[in-house]
Amino acid sequence: MRQRSLIAITAALAAGALTLTACGSRDGGDKNGSGSGSGGTTVTIGVDAPLTGDLSAMGLGIKNSADLAAKNANKKNYVKGVTFKIEALDDQAQPSAGQQNATKLVADKNVLGVVGPLNSSVAESMQKVFDDAKLVEVSPANTGPSLTQGPDWQNKKVRQYKSYFRTATTDAIQGPFAAQYVYNDAKKQKVFVIDDKKTYGAGLAATFTEEFKKLGGKVVGTEHINPDTKDFSAVATKVKKSGADVVYYGGEYPQAGPLSKQIKAAGAKIPLVGGDGINDATYGKLAGPDSTGDLATSVGAPVETLPSAKQFVADYKAAGYKDEYSAYGGYSYDSAWAIIEAVKKVVDDNGGKLPSDARAKVTEAMQNVSFDGVTGKVSFDEYGDATNKQLTVYAVKNGAFTPVKSGTFTG
Amino acid sequence: MTGVGPLEPGEGTRAWDAPDPADAPVPGPRSWRPPRLPDRHRRTVLAAAALAALLAGSGYLYATRERQPPPPAPPFPAQVVDVSYLDPAVTPAGAPPGSFSFAVLVSVDSGPPVTVTRISQPYAGLSVTSEPRPPFRTEAGSARKIVVTMHVTECGIVPENAGLPFLDVTLRNVRAMQVQSFILGPRYAQALTEGLRGACGNDSR
Repeated sequence: MRQRSLIAITAALAAGALTLTACGSRDGGDKNGSGSGSGGTTVTIGVDAPLTGDLSAMGLGIKNSADLAAKNANKKNYVKGVTFKIEALDDQAQPSAGQQNATKLVADKNVLGVVGPLNSSVAESMQKVFDDAKLVEVSPANTGPSLTQGPDWQNKKVRQYKSYFRTATTDAIQGPFAAQYVYNDAKKQKVFVIDDKKTYGAGLAATFTEEFKKLGGKVVGTEHINPDTKDFSAVATKVKKSGADVVYYGGEYPQAGPLSKQIKAAGAKIPLVGGDGINDATYGKLAGPDSTGDLATSVGAPVETLPSAKQFVADYKAAGYKDEYSAYGGYSYDSAWAIIEAVKKVVDDNGGKLPSDARAKVTEAMQNVSFDGVTGKVSFDEYGDATNKQLTVYAVKNGAFTPVKSGTFTG
Repeated sequence: MTGVGPLEPGEGTRAWDAPDPADAPVPGPRSWRPPRLPDRHRRTVLAAAALAALLAGSGYLYATRERQPPPPAPPFPAQVVDVSYLDPAVTPAGAPPGSFSFAVLVSVDSGPPVTVTRISQPYAGLSVTSEPRPPFRTEAGSARKIVVTMHVTECGIVPENAGLPFLDVTLRNVRAMQVQSFILGPRYAQALTEGLRGACGNDSR
């Protein structure tokens, strides 16, 4: 009798323990998994960005964010049998350096995709090199419309390269969005337009100007600056004399910051407005305290409204990178992850191994990639452009850009 | 005899026989025995002990279980709402002269229900009403057709043309209230331009 009772008690205790243990371990299987990929194949994701020079704040954010994506994929063993690594090259924002980097990345057979570049002008020099090698390229930052839709994109869109994709919204939307905000919300009607003559800056200034004029606004002056100089006093004087109530600048923050400061110093206390190229923490430092009220449009929604972006920010901080992720961090992570998703698709379709024509297959797979990324839903349209087209207006407040208004393109 | 052999025990030196282990008292607690209870009581005590042990074990395991992460916060409304242009619509009876209408579709992709609390647009000289009037609520996975009516209040200041005009829609759910600009694309731009021209005439500025 006593033995039977003991057996019953033991069984009951064991059953209870097992039940509770099973409940407790749910979803915890990966917790102690390897932090690195266990695969035998190493796939390299190339990164091209300005890692030195004026634009390195953005470039290093691109590099680190792509690195974080590779590390997370390895930690999760996301593509079985494959370990990802990053090969980052510095283009110094120069098209010629970008083209050399493209050639170097093509020569490395382990490279199955490239994240970058930052500058549209650099992208123009790289696209054909990658396309000839069927090596996929996903830019987190290029906004020049012609890169995907061709030089006559306003009249007839024609895709240029099947290997080129981007996660950033184009200036075909960003420029008009800025013009609508400046004219209708900020109530500015006389603009002085300045650009740096580069593909990005001149293109953005053009799309802004066209929309601003359509709305009924007046362009009271235009100027081009030399991005190699920091003395804009002559242009600042012209702005003051023009009677403009706003300045639009197509270009990047290393020039935009001093330009804003010198315009205000010349006596024109009017806001400078720019695009995503000036949306960096460095801008406020370069432009000084009078830059309060300056505006920048940028691609995407504010980080604090995206739960997925919050996770990215936490992961980035935990990874201990020295540099900020900057304006394109989330887009760079998503660009790298798009490559990882494409590699996964190719490996899964080939019985768990990379095929001999992996580059071509990855490029092909990229067209149908779709996932919930840091910046929202990531997928590409027939031109290779991001289908997620969100934009935000930021204003300088206490020396930093803070979100003012967001928009979504649904046309 | 030089040999060393066992000595004969002397008197009084004979070893005592070892006691029978069965009779020896066992030192320590093993020597204690619970008082013998009747079978009925013994079973009750054992069952209670078993229950207590099970509860203690369960409590320990529950307290030391792996915690599930808290459920994710609901999404911001602008991340789950889509507003798209449909087509021109019949202007509601009673709308003032200089009005024109079009339909948009408001859809909620996921998350908690979203309430549209306001529809506006930033152009000077132009006012907006809609049918249904805000506030109206839309559940996740469903869409609602809205007829937006624009009324030109002052032709001289309304913008002449636009490439990518937008509607400002104020959205609210349990997470937040947001004003989001929806850029409805070239078809909306064309409809808006034609509507403005129709309301003001080509040379009325």
